[in-house]
Amino acid sequence: MTARSSVVIRLAGESGEGVISSGDILTQAAARGGYWTQTFRTYPAEIKGGPCMYQVRMGGERIYSHGKRVDLLVCFNQEAWDLHWDSLAPDGVILYDQTAVEIPEAYAARARPVRMEQLAREIGGSLRAKNMVAVGAVAGVISFTTTPIEELVLRRYAHKQGVADANIAALRAGGDEGADLRGSLAIVDPVEVEEDRILLSGNQAIAVGAVAAGLRYFAGYPITPASDILEWLSAKLPQVGGITIQCEDEIASISSVLGASYAGAKAMTATSGPGLSLMTEMLGYAGTAEIPCVIVDAQRGGPSTGLPTKTEQSDLQHALYGGHGEAPRVVIAPTTVEDCFWSAIDAFNYSERYQVPVILLTDQGLATRMEVIHRPDTSAVELWQRATAAGVQGGYRRYELTPDSVSPMGIPGQEGGQYVATGIEHDEHGHPAYTPENHVAMQTKRWAKLEPLRNGIVRHESYGDERPDIAIIGFGSTYGAVREAIDLARAEGLSVGAFYPRVLGPFPAERVEAFCAGARRVVVPEVNFTGQLARLVRGECGLRVESHAKCDGLPFTAEDVLDVITERTPA
Amino acid sequence: MSTAPAKRKPADYKSGLKPIWCPGCGDFGVLASLYRAFAELDLDPARTVVVSGIGCSSRLPGFVSTYGFHSLHGRPLPVAMGVKLANPELDVIAVGGDGDGFAIGAGHFPHAARRNVDITYLVMDNEIYGLTKGQVSPTSLTDQRAPSTPWGNLETPLNTLAFAVASGASFVARGASFNTKALTELIVQAMEHRGFSYIDALSPCVMFNNHQEEWKELVTDVAPDHDVHDKAAAFDLALKGGFKLGIIYREQRETLGQKYQALVEASKASDVDAMLDAFSARKGAAIGKPTA
Ligand SMILES: Cc1ncc(C[n+]2csc(CCOP(=O)(O)OP(=O)(O)O)c2C)c(N)n1
Ligand code: SF4
Repeated sequence: MTARSSVVIRLAGESGEGVISSGDILTQAAARGGYWTQTFRTYPAEIKGGPCMYQVRMGGERIYSHGKRVDLLVCFNQEAWDLHWDSLAPDGVILYDQTAVEIPEAYAARARPVRMEQLAREIGGSLRAKNMVAVGAVAGVISFTTTPIEELVLRRYAHKQGVADANIAALRAGGDEGADLRGSLAIVDPVEVEEDRILLSGNQAIAVGAVAAGLRYFAGYPITPASDILEWLSAKLPQVGGITIQCEDEIASISSVLGASYAGAKAMTATSGPGLSLMTEMLGYAGTAEIPCVIVDAQRGGPSTGLPTKTEQSDLQHALYGGHGEAPRVVIAPTTVEDCFWSAIDAFNYSERYQVPVILLTDQGLATRMEVIHRPDTSAVELWQRATAAGVQGGYRRYELTPDSVSPMGIPGQEGGQYVATGIEHDEHGHPAYTPENHVAMQTKRWAKLEPLRNGIVRHESYGDERPDIAIIGFGSTYGAVREAIDLARAEGLSVGAFYPRVLGPFPAERVEAFCAGARRVVVPEVNFTGQLARLVRGECGLRVESHAKCDGLPFTAEDVLDVITERTPA
Repeated sequence: MSTAPAKRKPADYKSGLKPIWCPGCGDFGVLASLYRAFAELDLDPARTVVVSGIGCSSRLPGFVSTYGFHSLHGRPLPVAMGVKLANPELDVIAVGGDGDGFAIGAGHFPHAARRNVDITYLVMDNEIYGLTKGQVSPTSLTDQRAPSTPWGNLETPLNTLAFAVASGASFVARGASFNTKALTELIVQAMEHRGFSYIDALSPCVMFNNHQEEWKELVTDVAPDHDVHDKAAAFDLALKGGFKLGIIYREQRETLGQKYQALVEASKASDVDAMLDAFSARKGAAIGKPTA
């Protein structure tokens, strides 16, 4: 049997049973053992109980999506089998606890009972060691050395030698369980590489990226799936001299962020759809008063309170157009966890240079998945600062009409830069002014200053054929699955390529049109109900596009996208 | 011999923009008191920020030559908090109306107070919505007839002084626009106070709720023997109603800014590279050597 380049492992059971911790340990160990990984999890919105699932895909080469067909399914309880059996690959292997799960006869040859509970109690010293038995069994089946796992255990229980020993014994006992299955899903050995890699989530990547960009004030209100950003920054921001504050609501969060930015600090807030709705009035203010700020929207299933723990890309239109009047903003959609880091820096850079609010549009899938990525080279980080009124000599005009429409900003403390920031239409001095000429001039200024983002300086993402027969236009977190699907489709001889605008507002219509110029089909996959991106592409580019919108709360898999590309009916 | 630089005068804080208020509006008296208080404190216009919400009263920052932030209806307090926390060197005062502060903005008030953010909040209380032409506000009297209450106001007015004390404001006072000398003094004391200071300034709306003459009759000063450090006495005074002018409560307690400052100083200094190290997937890296 030849070793596989990657395996998809799915652990399933009741929330609180150790499913998540098993997945976490496996992911950490895989990353430290030299594998590329990506995770995907579903969990109930309730705190205790309810089915949960943790999927780890690990392999010898960079992994872009979480995978569809499950090679190795670990069932902690009967419900896990009932919910997940039909995701199994044709040669998929099942590990299960015989005391809790019954596997149909037809699967018996590929199923292997593992005494999770019994061994946890007898060897691991407590039922809690169940996860170690499970992880040990998984390691056995895929021929993954347990060394990195044991290192993790030793570190975790550094102060409790007894617990560490018991856990390691449970791990090894789990590994011994399926001697007959050992290595049946053997995975290639990771290649020893020089480069540095890190393992983190999309939320974490945005948080560190923001710190790298110079973030010094963060305010937020807890909401799934954005809360980790608030939590991580609460711990870390003081270490660089900054402040994180948990506000009374999202309105206060963004208001205080604008106050802090007005006072000269780089400031950010993070939320999900419901919070973005509350922030919308202030978002319009920021655009009008020209105050830089960054707003992370980790989208989740909507509408309303919707599906708090499920993914969706349905805030696109809100991010682009939400609010009264027509207020400028920039919308960036990061494509991968690695891109989350760089996008946070871009967000601050654009925000500072153009004195505009920037929305970073991720989603539950991207925000919470763990990915092994190249460690960002911080020496390559380039930072832009806003133009300020330092040194102005008399006659300062805050909203001066300049050739590039960007006007120097007075920062409290700067002599001679005094002005009143206001959302009321104002003249160059910032004084209320309602003449038709003035309103036209100011609206023009506020929108014109963003043109460089439409036409030049932005780094977009593309993959596959440059002049494809089948052109895919997508945004954000679907990138990985699309990328893998393109590899599969090209292997079948098809001409396919994808273009991912990283900045969606202002929309790079010319770039999209140019990319699609020779295409027979333009395909737009997205995770929402109404096909928001497809409509945007139709409207901005006048192209005929096929919308492939889905809103089942789950991210696209490469196979889903391949079905779209090949026009096959889904398997 | 060098001479001390001349102290700034009230006129130095005039922006030159003419207030848009109706002739006789109480807000003129508040603005005059503010100019005088700023002059008395000799505030540096380049390091002073006046934040407001939306309403007639909230147009005030435009008439002052300092930095200003004319924000959104109900939002001056969180904005002012962000300004102050981002740059503790600045003198920050938030101003606005009773509708702005206690209807749409009421959710922010107790939090600014309990956090003890070092800002002053000056509410021009006319017991009515001025800018939207005379609807009742949360401080309007029961039975008051207004465009939105043609049968009389069915609601009970909010006692903002008691609310402030209950919320943990560390300085609570009341002044009146028609008593500029005393109001000036209150603003000076509030700005000098370290922590969240709240001033309710009676400021008649001559257009829609002209109580000026009644109010002049009703106001009396807080008794000289009132113990401003006694919270129960402060509540008592606030609940008694009537119009007592002066400081009703004052306490010295650490501000949110000071606490954050201490937190920053106590944190071990770090940088992005160290933060990235914590995510390192290198073998043996972040997980360290096994500790036997
Ligand atoms: C979100 C929002 N809702 C409503 C308004 C309309 N509005 C403007 S000012 C105001 C009330 C003003 O009353 P108050 O705060 O007491 O100030 P005054 O004008 O009396 O000084 C209202 C309701 C608004 N600007 N924004
Ligand atoms: S409407 Fe009332 S509050 Fe507004 S300016 Fe006129 S008098 Fe003052």
